[in-house]
Amino acid sequence: MYAVEIRGLSKSYKTKKLRTVEALKGLSLDIEQGEVFGFLGPNGAGKSTTIKCLMGLIRPTAGAASILGCDIASPQARRQVGYLPENPAFYDYLSAEEYLRFVGKMFDMSPEDAARRVQEVLNLLELWEPRKRLIRTYSKGMVQRLGLAQVLIHDPEVYILDEPMSGLDPLGRALVKEIILDLKKRRKCVFFSTHITDDVEKVCDRVAVINKGDLLAVDRVENILERGVEGYDVTAASADGQVQELFVHKEELPSFLKQTLDQKLAIEKIEPRRKNMEAFFLELVAR
Amino acid sequence: MTKRAPLALLMVGLVSYSLLISPFASYMRNKPIAEKLGYVPSIKVLKPLSADHKEFVGASLVLKVTMYFGGLIGKMQNGRLSEPADLQGMSRLLHQAVRLDPYNMDCYYFAQSFLTWDAGQIEVANEMLKYGMQYRSWDWYLPFFAGFNHAFFLKDYPKAAEYYRKAGDLSGMDLHIKLAGRYLQESGQTELAIGYLKGMVRTANNPAIRKSYQIRLQAFQEARRIEVARDLFAAQHGAPPATVEQLVHAGLLDPKPSDPYGGAFYLEATGKVSTTSKFAFATGKK
Amino acid sequence: MTSIIQITLKGIFRDRVFQGIMALAVLFLFIPSAASLSMRQVVETSITLSLSLISFILLLLSVFLGATSLWKDMERRYTFSVISLPVSRSSYLLGRFFGLALFLVITAAVLAVAALLAIKFAVLMYPPDRPVLWGALVLALLFATLKYILLVGVALLLSTVSTSFFLPIFGTICAFLASGITQQVYEYVHMPASANAVSPFLKSAATVLYYLLPNLAGFDLNVNAIYGIQPNPNGLMITLGYFLAYTSILLGAAALLFDRREMQ
Repeated sequence: MYAVEIRGLSKSYKTKKLRTVEALKGLSLDIEQGEVFGFLGPNGAGKSTTIKCLMGLIRPTAGAASILGCDIASPQARRQVGYLPENPAFYDYLSAEEYLRFVGKMFDMSPEDAARRVQEVLNLLELWEPRKRLIRTYSKGMVQRLGLAQVLIHDPEVYILDEPMSGLDPLGRALVKEIILDLKKRRKCVFFSTHITDDVEKVCDRVAVINKGDLLAVDRVENILERGVEGYDVTAASADGQVQELFVHKEELPSFLKQTLDQKLAIEKIEPRRKNMEAFFLELVAR
Repeated sequence: MTKRAPLALLMVGLVSYSLLISPFASYMRNKPIAEKLGYVPSIKVLKPLSADHKEFVGASLVLKVTMYFGGLIGKMQNGRLSEPADLQGMSRLLHQAVRLDPYNMDCYYFAQSFLTWDAGQIEVANEMLKYGMQYRSWDWYLPFFAGFNHAFFLKDYPKAAEYYRKAGDLSGMDLHIKLAGRYLQESGQTELAIGYLKGMVRTANNPAIRKSYQIRLQAFQEARRIEVARDLFAAQHGAPPATVEQLVHAGLLDPKPSDPYGGAFYLEATGKVSTTSKFAFATGKK
Repeated sequence: MTSIIQITLKGIFRDRVFQGIMALAVLFLFIPSAASLSMRQVVETSITLSLSLISFILLLLSVFLGATSLWKDMERRYTFSVISLPVSRSSYLLGRFFGLALFLVITAAVLAVAALLAIKFAVLMYPPDRPVLWGALVLALLFATLKYILLVGVALLLSTVSTSFFLPIFGTICAFLASGITQQVYEYVHMPASANAVSPFLKSAATVLYYLLPNLAGFDLNVNAIYGIQPNPNGLMITLGYFLAYTSILLGAAALLFDRREMQ
């Protein structure tokens, strides 16, 4: 059973001028349990549309999807999901503590469990101190962190995060990455959208690239990085101790190595020079 | 809550609605008068609450009364109303309406139509007309009504003549003056009423009011017929008849006169034609 | 659903709506003295003023809370975080409705106590000719509350299809105004005397509207309360049934529409 299974999901809108806009064109994706999956695409690519379909906020025009085997049309599908909306907003007349308890209740947690978990997640996200303040007094970053607290409170199996890093300062970003890596350690599935390639490179197992509603690529992050190797920066020392730095093309490496052996060169360092995720992404999208 | 719950709720609602709507509608239709005319807050409250919609509120009060009255006339059978009209309530509402909007002609027009014969509140009607004349100083209808009331009901001929003259001046037609002059005497009463009612029927555009005028006109035309027969009888026999039946027997009245209000015509000792219905619907006097 | 009801109530109280009402309710203190201006019916006038004031407050609440509740949730994007919880949209909508209804009931109860005190005071100061029917008074307040709860249903239904708050607010106000006169209009166009004056189109339009729009005139027991006339118990039962049926229709339709609504 996949954590998230998407089959031919399409979504089109009618604009005010009665033109049809296809936001998503037959997307199919399988996301394994226990993997961190990055959903990469420029603004307006269809990332949020996909996620909103999964969360039952909008109805797909065609196709189907399920979460842990449960069809997304049913509210039950969301029982094992923690969802962070893009630029989240919460009932601003409640305090963080009240809101999280409300969320806990909606997930059928016992009041004791909820109270314990509320304390844990608020501490984790550094919101324990202002927990009694009304949300309307919170800064944008605090609201974003509250959103993450809400995602974590019932310790679900699947995490669907829409732009989790946006609106956060570098400290907050580091915290989010830490949380995602911790979830990965605990074999949870994390599916998050982003347009920042660096985030994907750091935390994801796999990545999908989407643009203008089309799925462009799905691959393991390590494969992409490997395929991206263009050549090697080699630092070699000759017998007389002279150090030289060379660039060797990928396909020339075997012959180069042979050559060094012949010339009795000592190789001090070989580093792959590769296109990073950003280059990969830009190349795909520009195509 | 399952997916089907909203649909089920809608269906249950629709079914019970369709079951209930006709008893509910008939309950609403048959609600007693006082409840139907509804309660309107006192003018002291209403006026400030109406803010800058005084004219609108005034007009809706009149509309309320018109609808109510229309409903009554509509349900009338054989000159009998199914329930006594709440004339007091109607009058109260109209008085509030003119306090809100003293220019609303409908109020005066309508008040005149039922306050006189039906309610017998001639003084009240005249007070209201006088109040209206202060505002609608250009309107010949108000003095015309007042003139008629003074002549027909109060027999105050000088005052009536004064009002008729005023109506004539305002309308630019001396018809009213002439009309009035001819009938400003006891003997011309019936013709005065017929002339007035004919004019009212002609100008009424509200069906209920027109109908009420038509019925009254019919009654007076019947009375007039008896008067003509009476005079003919006197000329033939040299003595006035004692009863209406006498006229029928003498073959002077054919067909037999009938009062659309369900009353019976009779001759007073003075020879004046009257009817037991007093030219008004049989209603419990309030 | 109970959590949603709780949250709804909490939201209304936190938005200081109740304090606002209490400020308006201070007017009750002035009712006995204002009513003493009336020459012949001080008690009747106090009852009138009390009922009108309560009715007015409930009308404001039902129109504005009912029309803005869902709209605000969507406008401020609260729906994203709440609808994505494992709760069906119908439960969410019904939770909102019952929360608002409960608030109206609480408000009406508090105001009713204030009104009854004001009227009692008037009775003691100026004993009336006819005894005050306290039961009819309570019934009038109860049915007024039901009427405005039904109006909340109208407002919610309209906000499920609207993207702005204009339609819900103005639509609800129009429904309220129309609901008071449909009965009269219906009777007017259907009486024989108006057969010529009213075109068949107008007649059928009025008939359709009569069955479509809520008929709130039946909930008006003010006359009974003010002049001490016993209301007709049978009619009250039918009116209660009408309330339940009409509200179910409103909520069912609202839930169906809300279920189809796209949260953009």
